[in-house]
Amino acid sequence: MNIQIAGTVEYIDIGPGTWAILSDTDEQYEIWQPAPEAILQEGLKVTVTAKVRDDIMSMAAIGVVIEIEDFHIV
Amino acid sequence: MKKFLLTCLFVAGLFWTLSTYKGLADQGQFDSMVLNFRDNLSPAQVDRELKEITSKYGLEPNFNSAFSKGDNLYVVKGNTQVLEKLKQSKELSELTEYVEANYVYSTDFFGGTTPNDPMYKDQWNLKAIDVEKAWAKTKGKGITVAVIDTGVSKVDDLKSTNFVKGYDFVNDREDASDDNGHGTHVAGTIAQSTNNNFGVAGVAYEANIMPLKVLSASGGGTISDIAEAIIFAADNGANVINMSLGGGGESKLMQKAIDYAYKKGVTIVAAAGNSNRNAAFYPARYPKVIAVSATNSTGEKASYSNYGAGVDVAAPGGAIVRGKNGENGDLSGGILQNTIDPKTKESVFRSFQGTSMASPHVAGVVALIEASGVKDPEKVLQVLKQSSRKVADDTLNYYGAGHLNAAAAVSLASQGQLGIPDFLRWARDNGYLSPRFWVDGGAIALIPKLIMVIGSYLLAWLINRWLPFRWNWSFSNGIFFGGAGLFFLRGFYLFDITQLPFRIAGSSLPDLGNAFSNTNALNPITASVLLPLGLLVILLGHPEWKWFAMGSAIGTSACLATSAMLAPQMMWIGDGLPAIAFLSVNAILCFGCAYLSIKSETANI
Repeated sequence: MNIQIAGTVEYIDIGPGTWAILSDTDEQYEIWQPAPEAILQEGLKVTVTAKVRDDIMSMAAIGVVIEIEDFHIV
Repeated sequence: MKKFLLTCLFVAGLFWTLSTYKGLADQGQFDSMVLNFRDNLSPAQVDRELKEITSKYGLEPNFNSAFSKGDNLYVVKGNTQVLEKLKQSKELSELTEYVEANYVYSTDFFGGTTPNDPMYKDQWNLKAIDVEKAWAKTKGKGITVAVIDTGVSKVDDLKSTNFVKGYDFVNDREDASDDNGHGTHVAGTIAQSTNNNFGVAGVAYEANIMPLKVLSASGGGTISDIAEAIIFAADNGANVINMSLGGGGESKLMQKAIDYAYKKGVTIVAAAGNSNRNAAFYPARYPKVIAVSATNSTGEKASYSNYGAGVDVAAPGGAIVRGKNGENGDLSGGILQNTIDPKTKESVFRSFQGTSMASPHVAGVVALIEASGVKDPEKVLQVLKQSSRKVADDTLNYYGAGHLNAAAAVSLASQGQLGIPDFLRWARDNGYLSPRFWVDGGAIALIPKLIMVIGSYLLAWLINRWLPFRWNWSFSNGIFFGGAGLFFLRGFYLFDITQLPFRIAGSSLPDLGNAFSNTNALNPITASVLLPLGLLVILLGHPEWKWFAMGSAIGTSACLATSAMLAPQMMWIGDGLPAIAFLSVNAILCFGCAYLSIKSETANI
């Protein structure tokens, strides 16, 4: 399943740390790695097209894991 | 004859070993000597002697404390060799009541529970769950905890932790090393090598770790790998599973795996999740999984922790305040363990936060509960919930049953199933119960007792050579109770309870007469031929008990002979030649009685 998200990239300090997108609707998505290097910047405003990986669990356990297919920096 | 010689050699060897055994009395550490001058010495005499010690040995005696002056009690500090010379000084021994080593006492003797790991002081989380008191009962020995995570690397502070065979489901191989740092950290909380004078401590540090790698270096993994790992753990002897992971949706595959493990008696613990949401994530959300929310160092819910539906219990997950650059903030509120640096793979100590860190605290305590005897997952959860510290007004269910409490959990788990360890602990806590104390504390003279036991069996063996008879249970008991009895019981003391029952129960026949008095000097009435003779007269008609009487005569004979040779101490008679003569004559009489009665028995056959 693919979804569109608009939000802000943030570094989440859980365990050894992980990258996430906090959507404008206040939903948190964990970014599946490896992700494009360019998106991994704290505070970056983006819109992304991503695949929902509901077959995945992670050590960060912060919410739905998404695999980024395309993104634009806003 | 060959057998006899071999036995003699064995006994001689045993005696030599025991006689050269130094015992605790010589093993203590000391760096000072206590001098107690005789009370009848004049201050001038004492003063002269003190000056002499200073000039001759270069030592300066001082009062032990302000209270020691009246007692003429002095302490001399110095190295052991000089102090030994001082002890051997003839002049000093004439002027003092005693000169003895001022041994340094340490609480380690009683097995203190504060570990010696230097960074333990930074582990507020372990104090928060009251684990030290739990360690007094168990450290999780014999319990295996499967860590389903990013793998576990054997970092420096996991070197003395026990590992069992695991598996790497990501790379399909047996080596389940960590390439992320998360799993090693989690395993550290559960069973970090503790009391090893290095690094930090873990909750159940004698438990075994089963490393199961399902999450890749980036920290994610598939539900199918996780489900397989759960089944692997259940099939390979894991008692507890820790899953510091979450996300995804409900999965039938995972549900089945969890049911399978649960049915096999595995207790499953998982992190509630880290998005400050009202509901635990999967897999913590499954009813058969214990969901753990996280608290900070003040015991409040950590800001990131999920809460509400599904949360069973709260444990320290830590809260870290990062600096603006993301690194140099205040890490003291985090959970500190040994792990690997994901880039260099080197061993490092890191503070993390997360429900991932809270979950292994619970898994560790579950290991302690299981090691205390409660193994059924449903009962384990019951113990966990009942022992947690309740939080009042927890309207949003931040904490489930409350704050995790290891000491209360272990105490509750061991109730109603008192075993030998509990009895021994109880005995130790209530008085003196230490084999070393029995041997060295002067409570029992062990060597004579052993000679009595061995001697009486040798005597019986000799008679058996001359007059073959069938050795039976009553006869052996007779030898034992005549010779030594349950002598170790005499070294058994309980606070505020009379020792009399132990003295009686710990007496041999000759000892019975002094059981009621506080002396080990033998009573001539019981330490004589009278008791065995009486027993023989009374019991000779009984087919079974007569052998007990004959055995007791042999045992008493050995006991009296040994006492005559090694410690001829008698009430009223004293400890000189008369005592030796009395004991020797009675020993011979006892042996004579035994010999004659056995002879008449064997003649009848």
